[in-house]
Amino acid sequence: MALLEIEDLRARVEGKEILKGVSLSLEAGEVHAIMGPNGSGKSTLAYVLAGRDGYEVTGGAVRFLGEDLLAMEPEERAAAGLFLAMQYPVEIPGVSNMYFLRQALNALRKARGEEEVKPGEFLKQVRAAAELLGMPQELLKRDINVGFSGGEKKRNEILQLAVLEPRLAVLDETDSGLDIDALKTVAQGVNRLRGGERAFLIITHYQRLLNHIVPDRVHVMVDGRILRSGGKELALELEERGYEGFAGKAA
Amino acid sequence: MARARTVLPDPSYEELFTRARNRLPGSQLPELAELRRQAWRRVCEIGLPTSRVEEWKYTSILGRVQKALPLLEATAPPLEQLKAAFAGGVEARRLIFVNGRLVPELSHTGGLPDGMAITSLERLAARQPERLAALTRPAEEEGSAFAWLNAAFWTSGAVVELAAGVRPQAPLQLLFFQDAREQAGMTHPRLVVRLGPGARLHLIESHLGEGEAGQWVNLVGAVELGEGAELVHEVMQAPPQSATLLARSRIQLAAGARLVRNIASLGGGLVRNETEVHLCGSGAEALLNGLYMPMEREHVDQFVRVHHEQPGCHSDQFFKGIVGGKARAVFAGRIMVYRDAQKTNAYQANNNLLLSDEAEVDTKPELEIFADDVKCSHGATVGALDPSALFYLRARGLPQAVAESLLTYAFAGEVLERVVDPHLRGQMARRVLDRVPGGGALEAEGLV
Repeated sequence: MALLEIEDLRARVEGKEILKGVSLSLEAGEVHAIMGPNGSGKSTLAYVLAGRDGYEVTGGAVRFLGEDLLAMEPEERAAAGLFLAMQYPVEIPGVSNMYFLRQALNALRKARGEEEVKPGEFLKQVRAAAELLGMPQELLKRDINVGFSGGEKKRNEILQLAVLEPRLAVLDETDSGLDIDALKTVAQGVNRLRGGERAFLIITHYQRLLNHIVPDRVHVMVDGRILRSGGKELALELEERGYEGFAGKAA
Repeated sequence: MARARTVLPDPSYEELFTRARNRLPGSQLPELAELRRQAWRRVCEIGLPTSRVEEWKYTSILGRVQKALPLLEATAPPLEQLKAAFAGGVEARRLIFVNGRLVPELSHTGGLPDGMAITSLERLAARQPERLAALTRPAEEEGSAFAWLNAAFWTSGAVVELAAGVRPQAPLQLLFFQDAREQAGMTHPRLVVRLGPGARLHLIESHLGEGEAGQWVNLVGAVELGEGAELVHEVMQAPPQSATLLARSRIQLAAGARLVRNIASLGGGLVRNETEVHLCGSGAEALLNGLYMPMEREHVDQFVRVHHEQPGCHSDQFFKGIVGGKARAVFAGRIMVYRDAQKTNAYQANNNLLLSDEAEVDTKPELEIFADDVKCSHGATVGALDPSALFYLRARGLPQAVAESLLTYAFAGEVLERVVDPHLRGQMARRVLDRVPGGGALEAEGLV
């Protein structure tokens, strides 16, 4: 059974059809990349998977670990093991990063019928993750994403990923807004979290992230459809020919 | 005189004044007795405000105060509740007022540094009555009937004086406990704070209480900061729902003085804060942070005026409100930049969160600028929880109800974070949690 099975998925945003029949299958332990130009529907796919309001599914199906993902609330998807690293992480003044993360971890554990994490254990886990991502401890005490640089916000997403340990992580343009050093650090972090059963779906506009996180499969998305799928060499081909070439071919 | 917008106080006030004036503190002093009479005449001249007075448009207080209530007497308060409200740490000095009357046996003002004096108006009445008139006289231009009412009827009050350069380490807490278990009535406490040049004080003010008998507190504060003086004034207002609390403060800052005022209104049937800040010397700075959270049928009114009278001053108002049930909140904040006040920086933000369809917020930010080289901004919002923040928390696994509670708390948390004293901040946070729908389900550890 595939970890994630997307079948002819169609979705609308504000009445406009954005996803026009996306199909994709991802096995446990695999890393897939979805590449595409701006407006091709990549981020819409990410939000539809995570269950954001305002993204109306008009057709198709998504099964996650054999369950009907689209029937679940966002928090149920998280509890089932889905994680979306957001392109624009939200700033929430008034609550600290650490508090939020502990509540999130305990909510997931509770939903799975597990015990709450012990404070000492949690602290150790977070510190290890912060070190892995080169994140200063001081950022952990600050309010959620408040006063973080673009790069720090993206690192914070990966920190949450490391602590919450999902089955499938969807990374929505995690590379956007990162300089090359930050990109490497984030990629290193992701690579350390690879392996075993965990799978990744990496959404990106550029090929450069895939130099550091080498995918098993690459899908090219244009105008709400996946036009082509292939191995990691597809990303390089795309870099050379540009999306224009692919779009032209489709037409 | 024409009295279209205000009304005469009920004759019961006159009766009370006639009956009580010979027993009020300092009545043996002709000057003070005359001041009280004069104050009473001013109350009658000005009249009590109806909602046709612009400044009282959204707050109708008349029904609660038009008739005189008996002057409250101190009781034996529930000690456990008092102790639970202690803030400022073990070193803190403390004045405790029960029903508006200072209770010296419960207070702790020993071991003050040289140059710091804490005394009560009652004590001054016995020992230095000649000082009373100067300490209780409102400014001649004072236009509030309630300020004059306080000057006519005060029975108790505190005077805190710091000489130049005196900077006590320990905070001073003023704790007002309304014991409304049996007594209904009114009280007009008065607070005078004077900091000499370069002096510094951390002042904590707590209002709480218990009981259903209706009580009205008409607190008037007069604060003067000398050159380069610094006052951190933190206020938690959580009197019982049966109470009416009117707190008027006039704060004057000399050159280079700094005021930080953090105020949280977290209880009381009707609470109105009138804060007048006068930046009278160049380079003075006032940071005013406020949180109000009326629920059920409570009413909170924040009336703030910042007077930029001299050049190069800085002021920042940051007020947030969460309004639930059938409650109503009012924010009226005015920045006034006088003609000479060039290089003024003045900011004001008022953000409100409505938790129910029947809750109401009236927000009225105002700028009056008579200088040309200034930076001023104001903004007001009234809204609901941010859907993208809600999604973010849910996508991390928090159930919707928990995410909503947490975001509601966070809205208040942004003000709480600015509170300096950790004990007071904790007390405020717990009250906020009690008021957040579903807040009981949030883990307090790490939050408060």
